[in-house]
Amino acid sequence: MGRNESETVVRTGSGLTVSKIFTYIRMMKLWHLLPILAMVAIGCSAGNETAKTPEGEKPSTTQEFKVALITPGKVNDSGWNALAYDGLQAIKSDMSATVDNQEAAGPKAQEAMRAYAQKGYNLVFGHGYEYNEPGAEIAADFPDTVFVSSSGGKTAKNAGAFRFYLEQGFYLAGVMAAKMSKTGKIGSVAVIDVPSIASTIKAYEAGAKAANPKIVIIPPVFFGNEGDIAGAKKATESVLAQGADFIIHQANSAAQGVFDACKERGANAFGSNSDQNENPSGAVVASATIIAKPAFLALAKQVQEKKYEGAVSLFGMEQDAIDFVINPTFTAKVPPELVKELEQMKADIKSGKLVVPKAEF
Amino acid sequence: MDPIELLRYAAPVAIAALGETVVQRAGLIHISLEGTMLTGAFFAMWVVALTGSVGLGLGAALLIGAAMAIVFGWFTIWRAADQVVVGTALNLLAIGLTGTLFRSQFGQSGKLLSVGKLPTFWGGLDLVLVLLLVGVPVIGFLLAKSSWGLALRSAGEYPKATEAAGYSVLRLRTGAMLVGGMLGGLAGAYLTVGITGSFADNCTAGRGFVAIAMVTFGRWRPWGVLLAALFIGAADSLQFRFQASGVQVPYPLIMAMPYVLTLLVLVVVGKGKRFAGGAPAALGQAFRRGE
Repeated sequence: MGRNESETVVRTGSGLTVSKIFTYIRMMKLWHLLPILAMVAIGCSAGNETAKTPEGEKPSTTQEFKVALITPGKVNDSGWNALAYDGLQAIKSDMSATVDNQEAAGPKAQEAMRAYAQKGYNLVFGHGYEYNEPGAEIAADFPDTVFVSSSGGKTAKNAGAFRFYLEQGFYLAGVMAAKMSKTGKIGSVAVIDVPSIASTIKAYEAGAKAANPKIVIIPPVFFGNEGDIAGAKKATESVLAQGADFIIHQANSAAQGVFDACKERGANAFGSNSDQNENPSGAVVASATIIAKPAFLALAKQVQEKKYEGAVSLFGMEQDAIDFVINPTFTAKVPPELVKELEQMKADIKSGKLVVPKAEF
Repeated sequence: MDPIELLRYAAPVAIAALGETVVQRAGLIHISLEGTMLTGAFFAMWVVALTGSVGLGLGAALLIGAAMAIVFGWFTIWRAADQVVVGTALNLLAIGLTGTLFRSQFGQSGKLLSVGKLPTFWGGLDLVLVLLLVGVPVIGFLLAKSSWGLALRSAGEYPKATEAAGYSVLRLRTGAMLVGGMLGGLAGAYLTVGITGSFADNCTAGRGFVAIAMVTFGRWRPWGVLLAALFIGAADSLQFRFQASGVQVPYPLIMAMPYVLTLLVLVVVGKGKRFAGGAPAALGQAFRRGE
């Protein structure tokens, strides 16, 4: 920067005319701010459409039922956050509730929860174990709002957690992989090593070991950046290079990289979170899925009917919230005995005969 | 590992860094390279999804890359605004813009996309990789031997002399920005329609910033920059291999390996002239005529 612009003094005296203002603008080189203004304009609209100006909303009436969702990441990740968003939309359409959602992590999470509670939201849902403690902490301050997190162990009269038992689906994927692998090696790819992801991968490995004690498990490979499809693909190739021919993922929006690598190398992939069997890559043999809508609706109804009591509840195959779906176009290649065995395992899980390991966090 | 695979995964950084070399030689730092790559990545995927033509997708990426460069250039070259401030704003703009368009076109809760990819030949090469391999010596030659290259380099070293010799520093820098922007857009496009055939929010994942570091690492020379990008690409492959082979080291440490290596190299070689040429003397400084 050549000239010393900061020394320009602006007086907002009484003799301010339009032409003077323009001169000031020119002197201050306010067009430096233009890209920032443009950014702010676009940045605001980049947020969720429903997330705009919550302060502009009318105060809640007794009839109005308001539900808020706070996610750790973007809701268009085709995975963890997307399923919660779809659950919220189901609450909106089925219960004609007023809904709102935003992305907030770290210290912002509690701030966002407080803001929703102050605006009279009846249910504030934090989609992650990290929202459990902040919710339980402020629950006493807002007795008319229920705070629920995905996973976590703290409860209060109006705060609790519910957890999807996705480990059950991952366990069955492990069984299928171990029974069908031709190389005797299976692996996994994930974004980052957080407790919720690690627990599902452990269940996958436990299922594989239970089905075939000789199976070789390639350690999970993490690619680190949410959305980095090329990184996910490269990570998957490194697992395939070790000889694995079945791979499960926790890659969310970057999952296409996993499937693409499997397709190119003739390996098999499992979908996760949502049913990804119809992925155009054709590499997905089965999916471990979360059916979130019924669980979200059930919770919202409880809150609406004022029947909610702070608790930690588990949603698994018993509640039809978790499933393991074999790709119909792949069924011909799956031995019928294995299909039967998997069905039996599902039944055993539902009846409580088979308990899938899960980590507590 | 397979050399073509190594080249493929290093290509987005290498192509962006090649363009950045031209930009930095002219005395600018294209801080918004990451944003340029991201918009290129999105528009290439979008056009391919709409038309089914990968060629049109690459063309769209070149255009949008040039457009982003013109915006950056207008503020930093013609208006002499701070390059870091403008670049940061444009990076944020790119994240918001691509995110908004992606959601509006492909759904609020996202969708795993699979679009057509560049056809490959000769055991895995494709048009963009060939372009990269041809582009490195061509740009190297033009920078070193042509009168355009000489003028451009002088604009990065001592712009007053460039003006005195009858050239327009502003025009030379604008031209360099166009080259850098188009290559940046192409680099992003290669991620989506070359490697993965898909797009996700922020799928460039910092590669634009790595590319800027690679220019310093490669000593502002096209060959050096290509080798630097390949080196980082190899280190990245190695870290994945370590993870998959179960090395008992926490994975974030292994993952940081390529970047730690880059930092070490930058610390050792620095900006100075000690190792095979240094930074252009007027790098990052705005030029105003008649001062």
